[in-house]
Amino acid sequence: MRENEENGLPAGMAPEGKIEVPAGGLVLPDSEKGGIVNAWSLSLVGAVVVLTVLCTVWPDPYLEILRFLPGGLVVTFEVTILSIVCAIPLGLITGLGRLSHNRVINLIASTYVEVIRGIPLLVQIFYIYYALAKFLQVSGLTSAVIAISFCYGAYMGEVFRAGIMAVPKGQTEASRSLGFNKVQTMLFVVLPQALRTIIPPVGNECIAMLKDTSLVSVMAMPDLMQFGRSFAAKSYLYFETYTVIALIYLIITLLLSKAVSILESRLNYYDKRK
Amino acid sequence: MTNANSAEPIIRIEHVWKFFGELPALQDVSLHVYQGQRVVIIGPSGSGKSTLLRSINRLEEINSGLISVDGIDVNDPKNDINKIRQNLGMVFQQFNLFPHKTVLQNLTMAPCRLRGMPRKEAEELALRLLNKVGISDKAHAYPAMLSGGQQQRVAIARALAMQPELMLFDEPTSALDPEMVGEVLDVMVNLARDGMTMICVTHEMGFARTVADVVVFMDKGQILEVGSPEDIYEHPQHPRLQQFLKQVL
Repeated sequence: MRENEENGLPAGMAPEGKIEVPAGGLVLPDSEKGGIVNAWSLSLVGAVVVLTVLCTVWPDPYLEILRFLPGGLVVTFEVTILSIVCAIPLGLITGLGRLSHNRVINLIASTYVEVIRGIPLLVQIFYIYYALAKFLQVSGLTSAVIAISFCYGAYMGEVFRAGIMAVPKGQTEASRSLGFNKVQTMLFVVLPQALRTIIPPVGNECIAMLKDTSLVSVMAMPDLMQFGRSFAAKSYLYFETYTVIALIYLIITLLLSKAVSILESRLNYYDKRK
Repeated sequence: MTNANSAEPIIRIEHVWKFFGELPALQDVSLHVYQGQRVVIIGPSGSGKSTLLRSINRLEEINSGLISVDGIDVNDPKNDINKIRQNLGMVFQQFNLFPHKTVLQNLTMAPCRLRGMPRKEAEELALRLLNKVGISDKAHAYPAMLSGGQQQRVAIARALAMQPELMLFDEPTSALDPEMVGEVLDVMVNLARDGMTMICVTHEMGFARTVADVVVFMDKGQILEVGSPEDIYEHPQHPRLQQFLKQVL
């Protein structure tokens, strides 16, 4: 059954028909993946169909709304990508810091994680925006990226820490016994293996991050959400506008989550037997 | 066989103490190992055999005493432990091959990165070693595709790729299915025949009898008896050793 999933489709099965029925007619919910794939395709097809139908049947508000939004979408992606680029190294450093035997480094990393995790992102965004504005001249984009990557750096730190800890101790010992030092062991032996456990949750954090960028609209950042808000405020079409906004976020996150799961299965290359 | 008269021992272990919390794992242990010697350490589990072996390349830190390799104190922070380790091959019970690297890469990684050996040369060396342990056809496989016995033979070849002066074996056959023990022991016997100095923690009596120059019996963190395989297996002196042999044989 597994092989069918990996090698493509068994004969006579439609692309969506990935329901696995083991011999004996027992439907075991063993393959979580299959379940997600179904829910995933249903959601994606649903979202695309609803959006298409709305835009063709009532082009007056819906197509207009859709045409209005691309500028905001660009900013959303800009904020997301910049934040990912900053948050991942920050997460790695935090994770390593949390694992460090040096008490000072460990304490700094742990305190950072505790503090950040204890403050809602929206509050952080407000705080950083106004705090930075008080002392420095920074653009909305910069403070948005700083706020989001600061917050997600802490979340990802925990992901990195867990991923590194999941690599068996014997791997480190084997590497050290060959004569590799601590840094080489981390780079050549531990991190490449940890990456496999880390990538899926980091991918999910990135998707969550994309959704959370909608919060930066409070700082008048012209992202997708802000574009929607201004369109709704002008036209009074609140329901219609937010329907389109929700569908767009949904389609993007569904596509990205698919990308993460493809990446995940590619990273399992060395476990496949033969 | 024992070159006890040749000047300096490679490994010098002097009055070593090691505690795990309150529990003494090694109690005043002393042992010398000379060039070309094959030492087998036996004893019940929890007797400190593995701890002793692992302190030689400082995978365990000792609390007091001295361990030196080629006259270099392994616990002196002034000495580069990574350089010392490059000279000590180690084989683990759980193989510990790097699962994200192919067999060939497992072997070439250390020589290339640590010795600066050109890739081509390292690969030739690796293939020679894989041939020696009888799995050259698996050079491009990943460890997960190999059986336990094959993995352990690769692990031996990986340690040999650094061309160490001495090999440490930490219960190399204990995690293997019975039918795979033989193939790993064969490799080790051949290695011993080639004159490799080795220290081996193992329960394999047959191996100890055919290969060992010295058998060391440990119990409760102490070395209770040292002697030739004949002394140990035929004429055991210490009552604890007699009792142990009765249980294992």
